[in-house]
Amino acid sequence: MLLKLSLSSMRKMLKDYLVLLIGLVISISVFYMFQTLALNSEFTKENSIISSIQLVFNVGAFLLAFITIFYIFYANSFLLSLRRKELGMYRVLGAKRGKISQILFLETLAMGILSLIVGSLVGIGLAGGIGSLLMDQLDISAEGYQPFYTPALLMTGEFFIVLFLITSTVNAVRLARATELDLIRSEQQHDRVKEIGVGTVLAAVFGLALVAVGYYALIHMKELLALGLLVGAVATTVGTYLLFIALLPAFMKLLKQNQKLNDQKLNAFTLAQLHFRVNNLTKVLATVAMLIALGVGAMAGGLAFQNNVALIANVARVYDVTLQDPALEDSEALKTMAVEEQLTYRYKIDDNAISYVKEDLLAHPPLISSNSMTEYRRDSQPIRVSAQLPAGISSTSGKDSEPIPEQWEQAIRNEFISSYSMLGDRQIQIVDQSTFAAMKGDEHTLLLAKVDDFLKYKPQLKAMQQRQIGLLSSSEEDGTLMTKYGMYESLYAFTSGTMFMGFFLGIAFLAMMASCLMFKILSGATRDRGRYQMLRKIGVRKSWLVGSIYKELFLVFIFPALMGLLHVWVGMKMFSVILLEPYVQLWIPTLIFALIYAVYYGITVQLYRGIVLSKEA
Amino acid sequence: MNTSVLEVKQVQKIYGAKGESQSHALKGVTLNIQEGEFVGIMGPSGSGKTTLLNIISTLDRPSEGVIEIAGTDITKMNQNQLADFRSQRLGFIFQDFNLLENLTIYENIALPLSLQGIPSPQIREQVKRVAKTLGIEELLTKYPVQVSGGQKQRAAAARALVHEPAILLADEPTGALDSKNAKSLLAAMSDLNENHHVSILMVTHDAFSASYCQRILFIQDGSLYKEIHRTEDRSSFFKQILDVLAELGASQETD
Repeated sequence: MLLKLSLSSMRKMLKDYLVLLIGLVISISVFYMFQTLALNSEFTKENSIISSIQLVFNVGAFLLAFITIFYIFYANSFLLSLRRKELGMYRVLGAKRGKISQILFLETLAMGILSLIVGSLVGIGLAGGIGSLLMDQLDISAEGYQPFYTPALLMTGEFFIVLFLITSTVNAVRLARATELDLIRSEQQHDRVKEIGVGTVLAAVFGLALVAVGYYALIHMKELLALGLLVGAVATTVGTYLLFIALLPAFMKLLKQNQKLNDQKLNAFTLAQLHFRVNNLTKVLATVAMLIALGVGAMAGGLAFQNNVALIANVARVYDVTLQDPALEDSEALKTMAVEEQLTYRYKIDDNAISYVKEDLLAHPPLISSNSMTEYRRDSQPIRVSAQLPAGISSTSGKDSEPIPEQWEQAIRNEFISSYSMLGDRQIQIVDQSTFAAMKGDEHTLLLAKVDDFLKYKPQLKAMQQRQIGLLSSSEEDGTLMTKYGMYESLYAFTSGTMFMGFFLGIAFLAMMASCLMFKILSGATRDRGRYQMLRKIGVRKSWLVGSIYKELFLVFIFPALMGLLHVWVGMKMFSVILLEPYVQLWIPTLIFALIYAVYYGITVQLYRGIVLSKEA
Repeated sequence: MNTSVLEVKQVQKIYGAKGESQSHALKGVTLNIQEGEFVGIMGPSGSGKTTLLNIISTLDRPSEGVIEIAGTDITKMNQNQLADFRSQRLGFIFQDFNLLENLTIYENIALPLSLQGIPSPQIREQVKRVAKTLGIEELLTKYPVQVSGGQKQRAAAARALVHEPAILLADEPTGALDSKNAKSLLAAMSDLNENHHVSILMVTHDAFSASYCQRILFIQDGSLYKEIHRTEDRSSFFKQILDVLAELGASQETD
C-alpha cells in the first residue's frame, strides 16, 4: 500500500525526478567515457608523447571517482529533500519507521540502477559521438579507441552499484534518524549566516599567499622542475579552497553593506540569497573552480601540443617546400599557392659527396632560421645568408679544401637536404661552375619555396611529399622526409592522441563540474519556494523575480569560472618546459568551456525557476 | 465627507470548470469600506472569507463582479499591473508573518520602497519613522529569527505600512501570537487606525481580535450574513460579536 502511494507521488513529481535522473545519467556516462580511455592502455600508450601518461590517467580516474562520489551524494540529498515531507507524513499517520526507510532505500537504489542502465547506454553513444566528432573536427586519428569497451562497462557498473548501495543506506539511515516533526517541517528551517571573524581574515590572507606561491611555482617550472609541479598543484589547490571559504563570503558581506546598492529594487533580496548561497557553497564552488581549471587545462594542453607541431616545423625549416628534381605536377601545384619566394639550385650527387654550385648560391642566397628550440623567440625572423664563400672548393670534410662557413652549412643541412638517406655519409661540397660542369654524374635541381601560410596548402604539400618519396630509391625508402611538411606530418600524428585525450577529458570534467554545481543549487531550491511566493504576494512583478534569479545564479556561476580560468591562464606557463608556445589558441578551450558552462547556467536557471515560481492563473 | 477606499460589488467566485462539479465560494458579495475605517470580516471555516480576502488582495480573480480600490477597478488589470498595484497601494499582514528570514528587519521593511525605486536616504527615513510608530526601532539590524513572534508581526506590519498603502489587509494577524503579543499588536493597529488614519480590513475568526474593529461583516456560505457596528466600549462589542457567532452556530445546527 505504502509502496503504491509512494509510486503515485513519484509520478506527480516526475519533473523533479527527471532532473535527478538526468544528473545521474550525465555523471555515469562521463565516468564511463573516462574509463574507455583510462582502461584502454593499448590506446594510451600508442598515442601519447608523454610516457607517464598512464599516471596522469590514474590520477584523473581517482579525481573523477572522488568527484563522482560527492556528486552522487548531492544528487541523493536532492532526492531525499523531495521526499522528506511526504514520507514524514506517512510516519505521522502511523507507518513504521523501518518500513518507510525501506521504501526510501529501495527508491534510491531503483533510481540508481535505472540511471546506471541509461547512463551506460548514453555513455557508449557519447563516447562514440564525441570520439568521431573530435576525429573529424580536429583532423586527428584515434586508432585503437573503442567507444564500446567491456572493461570500462564493468568498471562503471561495479563502481556505481557500490556507490548507490552506500548512498541508499545513508539516505535510509538519515530518514530513520530524523523525527517526524523534523521531516514535515523540513521546509521551514532557517538559514543562518556566519559572522566574519579574525580567523576568516587570516584564512583569506593565507589563501592569497598560497595561490601566489602556487603561481610562482607554475611560472618558474623551468627552474623548479618536478618540485615546481608538486608545489604548484598543492599550493594552488589549497589556496583556492581557502579563498573561496574566506574571501568570497567577506566580499559578499562588503557588497551587502553598500546601502545604496542594497536599497535598489530587489537587490536586498538578491544579495541576501547570494550571500547565503555563497556561504553554503564555498567548498562546492572551490571544487568547481579546480575542475574548470583541470578541464580547460586538459583541453588547452592537448591543443597546445598539437599547435606547437607547426611551430616546431617552422623553427626547424624556413622553406615550406623542398623539392628535389621537381616534376611537372609540382610546378602546377606551386601555381595554386601564394609563393613568396622561390629559389632553384643545381647539384650533383655521388657516393662520396653532394656538390652545389657556388655561383648559384651567391646569386640567390637562401634564408635560414634564426630560432632554435632551446632559445625560442616568437618574433625572430629568418635571416638571409650573408657569409662569403672561400675562393676554391669548400667542404665539410675539410680535406684539401676550406671549411664551409657556418651559415652556409646550416642552410644546406637544414633547408636543402630532404632526407637522412640523401645525405648519408656523404660530405657537402661547394664548387665553382667549371668544376661542377666537369664532375661526373647527373645534374639535379633543388627547388625551395616559401608560401604565405604553410597550413593552407596541406593537400598540395602532401601530394608533393608522396611524389618526392617516389623518387627515393627503394633501398632508401623509409617513408619520412625531413621537409617541413614531413616533419609536421609525423609530429602531428604523434601529438594527435594527446590532443584527443585532452579534449575528451576536458569535456568530461566540465560536464561533470557543471552538473555538480547545478545539483547543489537545485537541491536547496525547495526551501526558497516560500520566499518567492511571499514576494509575489506583496507585489513583486514576476519578471523582476526571474531577473533576480538570473542575476543571483550568474554571480554564483561566475566566481568559480573566473578563478578556474585564471588558474589555466597562469598554469599553461608550466608547459613552456616542453612546448614553444603553450598559449597558442588558448581561446578555443576557453570558448568551449564558456559554451558548456553557459548551457548549464541556462538549464539551472530554468529548473530553479520551475521549482520556486509556481505557475499562476 | 468620507470617500470609499474599497468597493466590492456583486462578487462571485466559482471554482471548477463549467459542466464539472462547481463550488460557489462567493455568491454575490457586496461591501464598502470608507477611508479611515477598521473593518473586520468574520465567519466560520469554509465561509469564503479567505477567498474574499484573496480576491481583494488581487491574488485571485473573481468570476463575476467588480472590485474598486481607491477608485481603481482591479478586475481589469493584467498580471504586471496587479503586481505593481499590490506593491504600491496595498499592505499585507499574514498569519505566519511572511518575513524573509535571510533579510534583516530593516531590509524587510524597506523592500516595498526599494521596489518602487525610491532613493536610499528617503527609504531610511521612512523605515525609521514607521519602525518608531510600531516600537521596533531597536530591532532594525536583527534578523527575523532573532526576535519574538510579536516583534516579527510588528515588523510585518511596518513592512505593510511603510509605503503608505490605501488599505491594510490583515489575514488572521494574531493567529500565531500568544495573548499578550496579540493584544499589543491589536493596540498598535487601533493606534494606526485612529491616530494615523490607516484604513484596515482584517479577516479573523477570533472574537477578541474582532472587538478592536469598528464594524464587522459576518459571512456564511459565501454570502454576507450580518453586519454590526461598534457603538459602545469594546467589551460590550465583544459580547455582541459572541452573540452573532452563537447565532451563526445555531443556524448551522438547524441545517
